[in-house]
Amino acid sequence: MGTFIVQRISQTLFVVLGAALASFALLRYVGDPVNNMVGQAASLAERDAMRRALGLDDPVILQFFHFLRDVAVGDLGISYSFGVPVVRLLWERLPATVELSVCAMLVATLLGVPLGVWTALHRRSVLSHVLLVVSLIGVALPTFLIGIVFILIFSVWLGWLPSFGRGATVAIGQSWTTGLLTVSGLKALVLPSLTLGLFQMTLIMRLVRAEMLEVLRTDYIKFARARGLPSATINYDHALRNTLIPVVTVVGLQFGNIFAFSIIVEAVFQWPGLGLLVIQSIQFADVPLLASYLVLIAFGFALINLAVDLIYAAIDPRVRADMTISRAVS
Amino acid sequence: MSAQSVTKPEPAPRWWQDDLLHDFLRSPVALTAALLTVAIVAIAVGADVVAPYDSNDPASANLIDARLPPGSIGLIGNRYLLGTDPLGRDMLSAIIFGLRTSLMVGAASVLLAAAIGITLGLICGYFRGLLDTIVMRIADLQLSFPAILIALLIDGVTRTVVDRGTHDRLAIPVLIAAIAASYWVQYARTVRGLVLVERGKEYVLAARVTGVSPLRIIATHIQPNVMGPVFVVATINMSLAILTEATLSFLGVGVPPTKPSLGSLVRIGNEFLFSGDWWISIFPGAMLVVLCLAVNLLGDWLRDALNPKLSDG
Amino acid sequence: MAEALLSVRNLRVEIVTRRATLLAVDDVSFDIAEGEVLGVVGESGAGKSITGNAIIGLIDPPLRRAGGEIAYAGKRIDNLDAETMRTLRGRHIGAVFQDPLTSLNPLLTVGRQLVQTIITHLDLSGSEARKRAVQLLAEVGFPAPRERLDCYPHELSGGMRQRVVLALAFCCEPNLIIADEPTTALDVSVQAQVIKLFRRMCRERGTSVMLITHDMGVISEISDRVAVMYAGRVVEIGTARAVLNAPAHPYTRGLMASIPTVQRTKSELPQIAGNMPRLAAVPSGCAFHPRCPCRLPRCDRERPVLAPAGETQSVCWLTATRDDTASIEAARDA
Repeated sequence: MGTFIVQRISQTLFVVLGAALASFALLRYVGDPVNNMVGQAASLAERDAMRRALGLDDPVILQFFHFLRDVAVGDLGISYSFGVPVVRLLWERLPATVELSVCAMLVATLLGVPLGVWTALHRRSVLSHVLLVVSLIGVALPTFLIGIVFILIFSVWLGWLPSFGRGATVAIGQSWTTGLLTVSGLKALVLPSLTLGLFQMTLIMRLVRAEMLEVLRTDYIKFARARGLPSATINYDHALRNTLIPVVTVVGLQFGNIFAFSIIVEAVFQWPGLGLLVIQSIQFADVPLLASYLVLIAFGFALINLAVDLIYAAIDPRVRADMTISRAVS
Repeated sequence: MSAQSVTKPEPAPRWWQDDLLHDFLRSPVALTAALLTVAIVAIAVGADVVAPYDSNDPASANLIDARLPPGSIGLIGNRYLLGTDPLGRDMLSAIIFGLRTSLMVGAASVLLAAAIGITLGLICGYFRGLLDTIVMRIADLQLSFPAILIALLIDGVTRTVVDRGTHDRLAIPVLIAAIAASYWVQYARTVRGLVLVERGKEYVLAARVTGVSPLRIIATHIQPNVMGPVFVVATINMSLAILTEATLSFLGVGVPPTKPSLGSLVRIGNEFLFSGDWWISIFPGAMLVVLCLAVNLLGDWLRDALNPKLSDG
Repeated sequence: MAEALLSVRNLRVEIVTRRATLLAVDDVSFDIAEGEVLGVVGESGAGKSITGNAIIGLIDPPLRRAGGEIAYAGKRIDNLDAETMRTLRGRHIGAVFQDPLTSLNPLLTVGRQLVQTIITHLDLSGSEARKRAVQLLAEVGFPAPRERLDCYPHELSGGMRQRVVLALAFCCEPNLIIADEPTTALDVSVQAQVIKLFRRMCRERGTSVMLITHDMGVISEISDRVAVMYAGRVVEIGTARAVLNAPAHPYTRGLMASIPTVQRTKSELPQIAGNMPRLAAVPSGCAFHPRCPCRLPRCDRERPVLAPAGETQSVCWLTATRDDTASIEAARDA
């Protein structure tokens, strides 16, 4: 188990380092950092001083190390378009994205898994077929369109729910703000979470259904039936358990997808999160912001993948056995 | 000690008895999807002829007719079946031309992704070695990130690097490249897997031993076996590519304003939702959904049908 | 004659495909008495497994039971509702399947799977069930049964897993076990052990067995009677000794002749020419007639029925025409 963790962590570091390199290249070579810092009117002497202060005369490798050091302590530069430290911006916007993503994931899983199980167990019912057709369409629907349709129906025509912003938020501790504690905050969460979660939900539903059908065809289920076990036991204690294993992996990896699509949902609903930030950074060519976002993403994803691998190992005894064997052999 | 008998070969079925064709012709879903796809592609290709008004001609935009609802008739008697956009352009025409752009970008990215993926897959699978390890490592890493994010970041970073002036000119090539870069992996992996299998077979070993050049071996033996599965990947990929382009254009980092696609049309209409002018966003969106649905259904059916089936007995 | 424990009469199982409905099991009849082991042999695809599945009611679409009666202990079981059938399975009729690698749920411990089955059918408390599970594991040959309860299937070898499967099949003391190729997937060295264990457990409990296999060695070792199946039909049935040593049906004779033995002095191994027909193309009349060396003119027109033939009963015009019509009728009603 130990070597496995070490391996995965080193992989994570590799990815983060790669992203950091890309970031560094962006920052260093796009435009002129000096120009961006001191403006057009500065004299040559001032420019030279700035060059030395920024360490631009040092060898590239050294600069990269300085960059890494800066990232490690959280100094990510100053945003061109907002004029404030990038790290502060990221920190401010993070809660919004996290809350949105988590709610969307909850929607997707709490609806998707039961629906998937149900359509697998009741293959021939009309509702099953209807759900499958709907899920088929769901895969072809772009997320932004879902959001727009929701806004049209629930905000414009019915006027029930807000179509932009987070509503009133409450600050928790020093850095976190949440919209979960106010009515307007909760209302504002509904449409974006549904939009973000809907696509995932159809995916999860189809995945659970397919997996469950596969599992129900296996020999061990056949043997369980031959032993006369009640169907509830077979469906839930046996089949569901075996179904959930690959599903857990996929759901874990879907967090990454949710995060990516949150950018779109934030654009549609003007949700003040990281996604909106990155779009603005592209539109305004805000290099420090974009570069920092790259590193953050790489780190986040690598972390998610690591977590999923570890959870998988915890659930499936066969994976644990493989790991102990490889450890004994290596 | 068991009971066995001698095998006897059976005559091969004729092509009109072919299972695939049989299933296709008897499945209403597949037929509808195929017809729909063909119709859509025909409309897009013949946009200049089919569309009632030429969207690319600035003269067709009548500001006075701006934001008219579907079915209206304009000031000088123009019929706008699906309404008009904020500049007074006919929505139906805009959608048809937008459809063409969407299809073109989608198809181009799929082709590019396939080209890159197949080439890399063939080389890595056949020659193995360091290149194989590096490319597959990168592929694995890339797979852990969502494609849309990769496309967005590549597109975004390129825009940041390129100066403002050349943005519009390079927008579409960059877009195609970005989308292709996010989807090549599936092709490469599929092809590489197949190449590894074929490579181990005796006839390939024989060809290598007799000194046939690798290029010939790949072209004559390996490549024909690879095309089927690649085609399957491409059908899945097509709707994803179209959706990715639509999303990027909706976010404002896709096609330039001079050449709108279905996604950017939705973007334009987004501002007017609250004024109640829903048609500017919804119609292009609906067209997008129909397109993706048709491609998806066709692809789904194709994949199911190409799966090895249980034979009777 | 004592009433048979299991009685199968004119069983028909169809496969419904898109193009046609095929017959996988065609008019199969046989009995199994109490404590008796009936071996069912035939090539792959002859319909043996499907027959076994039909008996325990595990026929799923596209297969469906299309006719015939199955009676257990005198009562019909083919027309029971699903829930009643379920109470029968495991408790009265057990099953053992071929592949021990896939017969056990990889995510549940051996003990959990045993206890679950025991509690389903027997009225025991959790700890009593565990005790029983330990006893069973000891009986099938585990040296440290108590520790083994918490083992996962992947921690055991193929032979050990099949022993667990046996324990699971016997744990609620069924009177009849359908064993579908129980040793085929095992290493040859392990096969003999498992078969001996199986035979011992059956003898000790007086369990009847329907042993489905294509392995003649296994058949000869533990079967009391043997039924031979071909293309979904029973072609010969009789005591094991009779069928193996003095078969009447040309197919069975061909099968027995094609088994390599140490005593054989001929250099070439005789084979039956041709293939067992595909279900979509079963020959008219007797299904075996295209490959039969003793073919008569009526064999392709009229389907033969079960009739006494020497020491066995055979479905063949060649052997039947040796007896008069009356005994044919008598054989059918027996």
